[in-house]
Amino acid sequence: MTGRTGFLRSRTLLNLAILLLVWEIVGRMDWIAGGALPGLSEILVRLWIDRADYPGHVGATVYASVMGFLIGNVVAVGAGILFVLFPTLLRLTRGFNIAVFALPPIAIAPILVLTLSGMAPRVTLAALGVYFVTMSATVVGLSQFDTRAADVVRAYGGKDWLVMKLVRLRGAVPDILSGLRIAAPNAVLGAILAEFGGGGRWGLGTYLLGSLGRGEPARLWGIGLVATLIAGLSYLVFAVISARTLGSTRSVTLNTAIPGVGDGTAKPLPLRMAIFAGAALLPFVLWWAFIKLTGVPDLIAKTPFGVVDYLFLSDTSPAAREKLLAALAQTLPITAVGMIAGLSFAFLLAISARMFPGFIKTFMPVALVTQTMPLVALTPLLVLILGRGTSVTLWITISVTFFPAFVLLVQGIQRVPQSVLDLPRAYGASAWQELRMVSIPAALPYLFAATRLTVPRALLGVMIAEWLATGTGLGNLLNQSRGYLDYGMIWTVAAVSVCLSVAFYYAILFVERRTLTHLGMQTVE
Amino acid sequence: MHHDQGIHLRAVCKTYRGRGADVEALRDMDLDCAPGSFTALIGPSGCGKSTAMRIALGLEDYDSGDVRIAGQPPAAATAAGVTGVAFQDAALLPWRSVARNVSLPLEVLGRDPAKYSHEIAKLIELVGLKGYENSLPGQLSGGMRQRVSIARSLITAPEVLFMDEPFGALDQIRRRQMNIELQRIWLESKSTALLVTHGIDEAVFLADYVVVMHANPGRVVDIILVPFERPRRNELYSAPEFHTLCDKIATVLHDG
Repeated sequence: MTGRTGFLRSRTLLNLAILLLVWEIVGRMDWIAGGALPGLSEILVRLWIDRADYPGHVGATVYASVMGFLIGNVVAVGAGILFVLFPTLLRLTRGFNIAVFALPPIAIAPILVLTLSGMAPRVTLAALGVYFVTMSATVVGLSQFDTRAADVVRAYGGKDWLVMKLVRLRGAVPDILSGLRIAAPNAVLGAILAEFGGGGRWGLGTYLLGSLGRGEPARLWGIGLVATLIAGLSYLVFAVISARTLGSTRSVTLNTAIPGVGDGTAKPLPLRMAIFAGAALLPFVLWWAFIKLTGVPDLIAKTPFGVVDYLFLSDTSPAAREKLLAALAQTLPITAVGMIAGLSFAFLLAISARMFPGFIKTFMPVALVTQTMPLVALTPLLVLILGRGTSVTLWITISVTFFPAFVLLVQGIQRVPQSVLDLPRAYGASAWQELRMVSIPAALPYLFAATRLTVPRALLGVMIAEWLATGTGLGNLLNQSRGYLDYGMIWTVAAVSVCLSVAFYYAILFVERRTLTHLGMQTVE
Repeated sequence: MHHDQGIHLRAVCKTYRGRGADVEALRDMDLDCAPGSFTALIGPSGCGKSTAMRIALGLEDYDSGDVRIAGQPPAAATAAGVTGVAFQDAALLPWRSVARNVSLPLEVLGRDPAKYSHEIAKLIELVGLKGYENSLPGQLSGGMRQRVSIARSLITAPEVLFMDEPFGALDQIRRRQMNIELQRIWLESKSTALLVTHGIDEAVFLADYVVVMHANPGRVVDIILVPFERPRRNELYSAPEFHTLCDKIATVLHDG
C-alpha cells in the first residue's frame, strides 16, 4: 500500500516537474499571446522586485478574510445548531440560506460598499462566502449521529440535550472541520471580489486590477500566485487539523440506521404554506431591515420597494428596463453555453474514468488543487491571455464549472461499491456495457448536484469577465452604473442576479427531484 | 405491586402504526424475571424481543399494560441508575478512551466519574482489558470493544442488567469464550439479567429460564427451565442433555 502511494506520489511530482518545465519554456519563448504567460522564473523575479508592495496588499486581504472567516463561521455553526434543534427554523430560513449560497458576490459588492464603510464590505463578503458551507456541514454533522450511542445515553435516562452534548456535538466536529476546510479559500475569494467591486487602496484584488492596465504580465501572475498561495494555505491548515482528528472520531462499525434531517412529522397544510411563504419573503424582509438599520439615505440605498419603483413606476423605468433586458440577453446565453460545455466535459471525462484510469489518476490531483484556488479572482490573468472578447467569458465559465463538477462526479462514481462493478464484469460485460449499466446511472445524481453547485459560480464568472474585460452584459451594466452613480440600477442588477441564481437553483432542483424519484434514486447534497 | 429487584412486564401491548399496515409488535406480553435470576428472551426476527427490552429500558413507549423495573416504572428506574445495558453493537464513542467510555453512564446520571476511578479500573480488569484503559475504540478488536461495553453496563453496579445480543457481531468461537466470561462476571455482580438473543445454545448455556417468543403478533409462547449447575463450563456444550434441551427449544421455536 505504502509502496503504491509512494509510487503515485513520485509520479505526481514528476508530472508537476514536467508541467513547470513546459511552463518555463513556453513563458520564456513568449509563445502565448505575445508573452501574456511569462516563465515561472520571470514571475518570481518580478515578485522580488515588487516585494515592497506586497505586505500592505496581502495584509489587507488576509485581515478581511480572517475576520470574515471568523464571523461567518461563528454565525454558521450557531445557526446550524439552532436549525437542528428547531427544524421549522431551517425551513423558514431556506430562502435566505439559498440566496446566500447562490448570490454572485461581485453583484452585491457595490451595494455593500454603498451601505457599509471601511473594511466592513470585504469582511461581510468573506463571511457570506463561508456561511453556507459551514452551516450545511454543521447541520449534516449534527443530524447524522450514531443512534446506538444515543440509545446508550437515553437508556440511563439522558435527555435530548445530554445526547446533544455527549454524542452529537463531538460527533459533528469532523464534518464541521471539513466544512471549514472548504470555507477557508471561499473567505479569501470573497475578500478579493469585494476589493474588485469596492475600490480602496490596499488588497490583492485592488493590486490586481490596478496592474491589469499596465501590461506587466509577470506582475499580474505574481499577484495571482500569491492569492492562490494564501487560499491554498488556508485550506491546508484545516485539512491538517481535520486529518488529525478524523482518525479518532470515525465510528468503528457501520451504523445502518442514519437519522434523517428534520422531524419528519407532517404538519397541516396551512402551516406548511405559511412556512413556505415566510421562507420566500424572509430574504426581502432582511434586505429591507438591513437598509433601515444601516440608516443609509433612500437615494443611495434602495429597499425592495425602491427597486420595484425604479423598474416599473418611475419616469425612467422604460429606459432602465430596456438596459436591463439588453444586458440579460447578453449574459444569459453565454452563461448557459459555458455551463453546458463545462458540465458535459466533466461528465464525459468522469464516466470514462474506468476506461482511462491512468489519466484520471494524473489529472485528479490537479483538479483537486483548483478547488482551493480563487479561480474567478484570476480572471485578469485570463484576460491577459485571451484578450477582451467573448472567448474569455466562455473560458472562465467553463473553468469554474468544469473543475468542481469533475471532482464531485469522480468522487461520486468512486462511491459505487466494488461488488456492483464486479457483477457486470463477472458476466463478461464490455467496458461500454459497464459504463451504460453502472457508471452513467451512478453519476447522474452527482451531475445534478454539480449543476446546482455551479450555477452561481458560472453566473459569477460571466459577470466578472463582463465587468473587467468584455464590457457587455450584467457585469458591465453594474460597473457602468457605479460610474454614473445610478443607484437604482446597482440595486436592481444585484437583486435580479441573486433572484436569477436562486431561480436557476430551484429549477434544477425541481428537474432533479422529478428525474431521480422516477429512477428511484436519492439526491446528494 | 412488586417491590423487588426483578423485571416485571404485565399485559404489555405495543403496535407500530405505519402507513397502511399496522405491526403488532407485542400482544399481552407477560414477563417475570425473579431477583438474581438470568433470563434469556429468544425468538425469530420481528418477534418483539428487542422491543420488549427497549420498553423495559424506557427507550420506547407502550400502548397498554404495566412495566416495573426493580419496583419502579422504566423511566424512573433508569434515571435512578439501577439498570445497566449492553447493546448488540458496542456503541462506544470513538473519541473517548476505554476508561472514559466505561464512565459514560456515570456522566449521564450526573455522578462524578473521578469518585469511581477505583470501580472503573476494577471493571476494566474484570473484563480482561487491564492496560488498555487509555486506548481508543478504533485500536481494539471487535471482541475487546464488546467487553468494554459489558464493563460499561456494570459501572453503575446495576441491580438489573439488560443485554441485547451483546455478542451478535462476534464469530461462534469468540462468542462461546465471551459467554463463559459473561457468566463469571454476572455471578460476581448478583444482578437480575435479561438477555435478548437468537442463539439457542447461548440462551441455554447462560440462562436459568429461556422465554420463547413468536412473531405476528409478538407474544410469549413458552418458558423453559434450564436446570444445569453453575458455574457452567465449556464441556456443557458437548453434553447430551444440553443438546436435548436445545432441540426442545428449537421445536418450540418452530412449531409452538
